[in-house]
Amino acid sequence: MSGKLKSLLLLALIGALLAGAGVVQQSLNRDRDLLGLTRVQPLENAPPVLAFTTVALGGFRGLISNALWMRATDLQDEDKFFEMAQLADWITKLEPHFVQVWLVQAWNMAYNISVKFKESSPGQYPDRWRWVKAGIELLRDDGLRYNPNETLIYRELAWFFQHKLGQNLDDASMYYKQQWANDMAKVFAKKQPNLDELIHPQTADEIERARLLRETYKMDPQFMKAVDERYGPLEWRLPEAHAIYWAAQGLKKAAENPTKIKEEDLITLRRVIYQSMLLSFQRGRLVTNPFAQAFEFGPNLEIIPKVSFAYEQAAKEDEKNRDHILRAHRNFLRDAVYFLYVHNRLADAAQWFKYLATQYPDKTLLDGKTNSLPANLTLDKYAVARVQDDASNKGGRDRTEAIIEGLLVNSYRSMVLAEDSAAAGYKLLARQLWLSYQSDIPTERLGAIGLRPFEEIDQEVRKRMLDSRGGEPPEVRALLRTKLGEPPEATAPAAATNAPPEKVPSQ
Amino acid sequence: MQPLLAIAWLTWKAAFRFRLFLVVSVLLLGAVVGLPLLIKDDGTARGFTQILLAYTLSTITALLGLSTLWLACGTLARDIEECTVQVVAIKPIARWQIWLGKWLGILSLNAALLTLSGASVYSLLQWRATRLPAEQQKILRDEVLVARGSVKPPSFDKEIQAETDQLLRERLQKNPDTRANIPEARKQILEQIKARFQITPPGYAHIWEVDLGSAKDLVRGQPIYLRLKFNAADKSPSGTFDGRLLVGVPRKTPLWQSDVRSLAQDTFHEFEVPANFDENGLLTVAFGNANNTVLLFPLEDGLEVLYRQGGFGLNFARGMGIIFCWMALLATLGLAAASFLSFPVAAFLSLGVLTLALSSGTMSNAVAEGTLMGYNSEAGRTGHSAVDVVAIPVFRGVLEVINLAKDFSPIDSLSTGRSVTWAELGRAFGQIVLLLGGGIGLVGIILFSRRELATAQAQ
Repeated sequence: MSGKLKSLLLLALIGALLAGAGVVQQSLNRDRDLLGLTRVQPLENAPPVLAFTTVALGGFRGLISNALWMRATDLQDEDKFFEMAQLADWITKLEPHFVQVWLVQAWNMAYNISVKFKESSPGQYPDRWRWVKAGIELLRDDGLRYNPNETLIYRELAWFFQHKLGQNLDDASMYYKQQWANDMAKVFAKKQPNLDELIHPQTADEIERARLLRETYKMDPQFMKAVDERYGPLEWRLPEAHAIYWAAQGLKKAAENPTKIKEEDLITLRRVIYQSMLLSFQRGRLVTNPFAQAFEFGPNLEIIPKVSFAYEQAAKEDEKNRDHILRAHRNFLRDAVYFLYVHNRLADAAQWFKYLATQYPDKTLLDGKTNSLPANLTLDKYAVARVQDDASNKGGRDRTEAIIEGLLVNSYRSMVLAEDSAAAGYKLLARQLWLSYQSDIPTERLGAIGLRPFEEIDQEVRKRMLDSRGGEPPEVRALLRTKLGEPPEATAPAAATNAPPEKVPSQ
Repeated sequence: MQPLLAIAWLTWKAAFRFRLFLVVSVLLLGAVVGLPLLIKDDGTARGFTQILLAYTLSTITALLGLSTLWLACGTLARDIEECTVQVVAIKPIARWQIWLGKWLGILSLNAALLTLSGASVYSLLQWRATRLPAEQQKILRDEVLVARGSVKPPSFDKEIQAETDQLLRERLQKNPDTRANIPEARKQILEQIKARFQITPPGYAHIWEVDLGSAKDLVRGQPIYLRLKFNAADKSPSGTFDGRLLVGVPRKTPLWQSDVRSLAQDTFHEFEVPANFDENGLLTVAFGNANNTVLLFPLEDGLEVLYRQGGFGLNFARGMGIIFCWMALLATLGLAAASFLSFPVAAFLSLGVLTLALSSGTMSNAVAEGTLMGYNSEAGRTGHSAVDVVAIPVFRGVLEVINLAKDFSPIDSLSTGRSVTWAELGRAFGQIVLLLGGGIGLVGIILFSRRELATAQAQ
């Protein structure tokens, strides 16, 4: 055999053996995972360079990762952030299975680094948003890619949506919500989210938007629909819906890998769901404000039964925190009754009031009033006492605005019913509540947690009631238009859209 | 001079013969072209430019530094081991001229490679900048691709020290029999006095007066940048604190004030403000504390005024000049090691010294803590060892020497748009090339001159 032929044969043999090893490796990885033969899971979905690096560097990966981590800390101490994304990328890639590394790096970007940036102009926080987004992307695009079954990463991702974007603790939280809604508007074509058209896209535009949802936001429209049916209806342009989605994804993965999951992780995932559902109830309705060229929130009263069920379910499953969850459930029910009442859904309010009384007969309905047991109060008395309470205490911006909206709705409905004094009373009450809230906020915090102008809220409510899709019967709308001196309604309804206007372009 | 140039030329020829020049050029250009494709930036044009500048210059410095060290060790040690140096040594040329000629050769090679790679980086940055929208270009030209000088308010250090000493004396006179730890007591008094200059209670404004000095002519009619940092006595629910900036003096200069801004503590915030200074070049800046907690503006870096001192091109050249000084030192180190050691040992020694210099953090910590035993945070005290008596002064001395070269950060300055001044470049040349390089070079030349060349032969 000539030397050349021998070399060729040997090369062919090498190739065949490598290919064979590649095939066997997959089944070996599966078996060692199933049989629990190794503590370290094989790296999934990694590009060849990363797979090679993690194997080739072996134990030295930890050393390099440590050195990079120290550099990142030093740079952060010196307020030099331009390398942070690169360093976080390297650190996580060197330790792709070390979940805490992903969590810490993502948290650092979304929480610690983001707040270091000031607003570029009043109310505009593009630099902060960039880092919050970077934290989300690190977990969603890379962390979950290499650790698709890690519930902690799902929990953290859900928490970013619930807490960082959803709540109002960060001065820039409204800006984050606006940006996220702008991003989602691209997915939902600036109209009411329609998941069916993304599950079965027909047109080129739908196909492109479905691709955007799957590839950029790593979300499955089919699963979104399942989440919406189970926990919704949800407003998918708001962060709470995404918090629920990622927590639900975590629960799904946990169910698929029951042996690797700790009970505490499941509890935290469920907690994110019911807490986010509560947020959705409080302000989970997105309404466009064309006057301010931005969107505003309203309460989502349709999900009350599901939020209540979620609390009850969580209380059953989490024995240790049962009392806390039930207390939160009672608070939610108190709010639900009140919100329904001020939105003039009196039958629903009465039904939930009865439910509240049945579930918690020995608990007071009003804080600090020992005689306010359900047996001692009527629905009307309870609602009036709550308005008085809200007018004197802080219920938070979202809740206060929701109540003002509800009072204005009642005012216009009273107007339609020719109860002009009641209409004026409701409006006066709404204005009093607005003034009371605003007057207690320090001037410099008005931009961050203050209410929008009263006239703006009033205009928005009026517009919604006059809109043919607003839920008011045609005769009510016609009467209201007459009372308000508005021209008669056009016969053909306008195309459905209440997408938030893109006030600030995404960075 | 001619013998020196002849030896330098021989070094060039050797570098080409070994394809070193070609390989290093390709590596350097590869790094400049390839890095932008690999690095992950923070998503802004400014961030991308900063990371590009920092990573390309760091890569160039590392690549060139290692090749310089390698070449310096190799060119002399191998010449000795392969006896080729004997052919040169028998010519009418002094040993010091051989040594210095090689040094000049390596340095000129470095100059060529540094010019090539530096020009590539500069062109790449300029090219990328021109492709950006006008708004981004402005940010780049104002904050990164620029040479910004800085002025700080007076530190009051002398006054504070004097007052501390006076207060300490008074207290000691009151309590002559005290057994208190005097240095610790002084430290506490010092902090109390410093606090008076640093803290701003709620509802009050912190006022600085910054003398722009000769910079006032440069900044007239141009925006300046205030770099501000504070700490808060308490946490805030949002993690940020509100404040308003005021620049100028009423009825004396134009007045400018910002909106209330929401700012994080313990971080630097930059504001572009008009240069509202008075006829003497005195800039008055006030920061109103609109929070319910005390804010503390550190005396060292609470406020800094940044202004445009010059263009990026010349600044970049000066920065490269400092990198070149480092290369000169590495060439000296390599040649000095090769003057009395074989190639592998010389390379090992040089790399060892380089590693030691780069990891001097441990020594700094030991010197700062005054012991090798470290600080026990649980017990709240530092340990002590008998070795400390010798080790700490030695470490201090070594650090003094290392810091002669390490005290410069041209890459950092360039990537943050800070000015690398002519004075800084001159100081780098003096400290790194003349003082440090001169010392090591002299030792190398002496060792090489005294070395018996015929006894060293490769196996």
